[in-house]
Amino acid sequence: MNYFKNARLSTKLFISLLFATFIIFITITFVTFSIVRDLTLNSQKEKASLLIDTINPTVSLSLFLGMNDIGDKLSPITQRNEVIALKISDAKGKIILNYRQYNGSETNDSISITENLMDPSTLKPIGSITLTYSGEEFTKTMNRFYTLYGWITISVLSILWLMMLWINRLLLPITLIAHKVRNFKPGEKISFDIPYTQREFAQIIHSFETMQESVIQYSHEIETINNNLQIKITEQTHKATHHLYYDTLTSLPNRIKLQEDLLEKPNNTVAILNIDDFKEINDFFGIDAGDWLLTQIARWLSEMKLKPYRIGGDEFAFRLKGESSHVEFQHEIELLLSLLSEKLFMISDETVHVRATVGIAIDSDKPLIHADVALNKARSAKLPYSVYDQSEGIEQQYQANIAMSAQIRQALIEHRIVCQYQPIVSCSSGKIEKFETLVRIQNEDGSLIPPYDFLPIAQKTKLYHHITQEVVYQACHLFAARHEQFSINLSSSDMLDLRTVTTIENILRQTGTANRVIFEILESEGIENFDEVASFISRMKELGVRFAIDDFGTGYSNFENILKLNVDILKIDGSLIKAINENPRNRIVVEAIIDFAHRIEIDTVAEFVASEEILQKVTDLGITYAQGFHTGKPLFLHQQLM
Amino acid sequence: MRIVLLLLIGYFSLFSHESFIINTHIRMLPKIMALDSRLSSKIDLSKVVFAVVYDSNHKSNANTIADEINKVHNGKVSNIPFTAIALSVNEVTERRDISFVYITQKCNTKSLKKIASWGIENSIPTFSYDVSDLDYGILGSVAIERNAIIYINKNTLKEGKFHFDGTLYQIARLIE
Repeated sequence: MNYFKNARLSTKLFISLLFATFIIFITITFVTFSIVRDLTLNSQKEKASLLIDTINPTVSLSLFLGMNDIGDKLSPITQRNEVIALKISDAKGKIILNYRQYNGSETNDSISITENLMDPSTLKPIGSITLTYSGEEFTKTMNRFYTLYGWITISVLSILWLMMLWINRLLLPITLIAHKVRNFKPGEKISFDIPYTQREFAQIIHSFETMQESVIQYSHEIETINNNLQIKITEQTHKATHHLYYDTLTSLPNRIKLQEDLLEKPNNTVAILNIDDFKEINDFFGIDAGDWLLTQIARWLSEMKLKPYRIGGDEFAFRLKGESSHVEFQHEIELLLSLLSEKLFMISDETVHVRATVGIAIDSDKPLIHADVALNKARSAKLPYSVYDQSEGIEQQYQANIAMSAQIRQALIEHRIVCQYQPIVSCSSGKIEKFETLVRIQNEDGSLIPPYDFLPIAQKTKLYHHITQEVVYQACHLFAARHEQFSINLSSSDMLDLRTVTTIENILRQTGTANRVIFEILESEGIENFDEVASFISRMKELGVRFAIDDFGTGYSNFENILKLNVDILKIDGSLIKAINENPRNRIVVEAIIDFAHRIEIDTVAEFVASEEILQKVTDLGITYAQGFHTGKPLFLHQQLM
Repeated sequence: MRIVLLLLIGYFSLFSHESFIINTHIRMLPKIMALDSRLSSKIDLSKVVFAVVYDSNHKSNANTIADEINKVHNGKVSNIPFTAIALSVNEVTERRDISFVYITQKCNTKSLKKIASWGIENSIPTFSYDVSDLDYGILGSVAIERNAIIYINKNTLKEGKFHFDGTLYQIARLIE
């Protein structure tokens, strides 16, 4: 069936024609055969009947008259070759005559006709006559019919074959047109040189030619448009390439260009120059002035021997090319820094003195990263420049930080952020009255990662808030069924994050622990973000939350701000407590804090209470609570209660 | 002795031949009567009379033949009831109910002519024992040659306007 679907039109036509002809031919043949056979047979029967009719009266009369010897009366038909046999019986079935022609052969096609012999006067049957008539003529007639139909079949098949050839020839123009059209290209004109064709094909060809004219015209228009587009694309590509590889402000090649240039060699020597305190210049003179200054610096750097790249807002880079050595490159950088420190730039009639710090990576496979590491090192060390030293392991620290960031993220997903609780003991009674919640990451093997290993990284990777929310959730749900107070450390960023604040509020409301929770805030953070922290404290205090200043005494304490923050507890920094017996200065500071706390009637907590002597000392000084390894190590709560 | 023996054999064979002919006539002639297509229009079919005509003193012989006809055909031929009776020449010509006449042997010429003319005049088929009687105007006779052969006098057939089943003419020999 798929073959017929995919067959050529001429094949389909021929098969359809063949099928239709076959059906019609078979039908006609069958009908004709039936008619001819019946006619021939009937004709033979008629002849036989006629023969019988010829002798019937005579035989009937002879039989009627009892003249049984009637052989001579039958001679008109028994002499005929077509008559094979003749049998006459009386009414009782007695055979009166049984004639058989011996030279004749009775075949399957022979015809037997039986008629009654009648009483001439009463027309009642008095016997029967059976004539067996030769079917030879019938057979001959049918054979002639078969022969004739054989020739007709051959003729029909020949006509069909000729028709197939004719159909093929008739449809040939379609193939030729299709072939021509298949090879048609918009830019070339094709001619349909069909040797002979019908009117319909001529119309198709005319239509194709008309369409071709339109296509060619359209093609010319498209070609013109394409050319114009090509020109515009080239221009835009050039512009885009320039935008991609060159800084629009300074027209210097940018970071992408530098990265591509660095691909020329496996190892490169690169220096990154960062303008010191450029943010202050921007803040002081405005962004436009800052951009103007950058333009001037770029122009000045371009005049130097080194070819500069602008790779960031206030960062430029230089690449050592083949003809110079590392030492020369380093000298040139030193010279550039020296000249830059003496150079005065003009901003709106004001002279600006610019300093810069440079990080250099020599013969490095990651020159930009290494130069950036060296730059950070120089800035940290307040040096004019620094050269990357792999042995310092700074890059490894970066790798460790990345790994830790991934570990924190995975711990949050797998709920491996856990809390331990360190008891806070009343100095007067010696009883545990509070616990400080301390966060840990529990490794898959059960070991714990301390907070100072991951919290600084969490701060930088925006994961800190998630950790805070997890800690608040765990601690509040744990202490919801208990009576002790418990403290949780919050950073200023937590308090500034609206989502975290909302989450904390919801947890406190759900667990009903607001009046037993104490949020610990670092002294330094409380001072730096005073307004935001004060707002947060005020919002939480409405729920009944208490606040403590953590590590108090080491920062730039401002007692007035502490008063304004309306905190409830001062946790005296452990560095003051652990040497309180050895260092009189520490004791003086601690006494001052205690005195201040007593005056404003808030409690104090001594941290790092590591021995009985220290505990005794802080008790003697009047500190309300003690916290440290001596009074209780951080453990899981169920361990604390054992 | 031999001569006597030959005469006896001749007599018996002659007698046997005559008997065979009469028997043939007894079986065939009533049927030929039934082939007369005007039989139903000429007389009442319930009173069909087959006359066995004799001459001189041959009445007993005629009665025998008539009885034998009645016996063989049981008074009916082709569903036509009939009666065969022996009648003299004069009796026949005076009756009006005769349908067929069979003249036994040994009638004189005068009687034959009288019967023949009567038959022609009344369209009554007349058949005779002897074929030679057809020379006197008798309509027909059945002779035994190799087979039984019906002879019909063509002239009498025309003159008497006889109408038999057409087939009869096919098997009969028409003579003049």
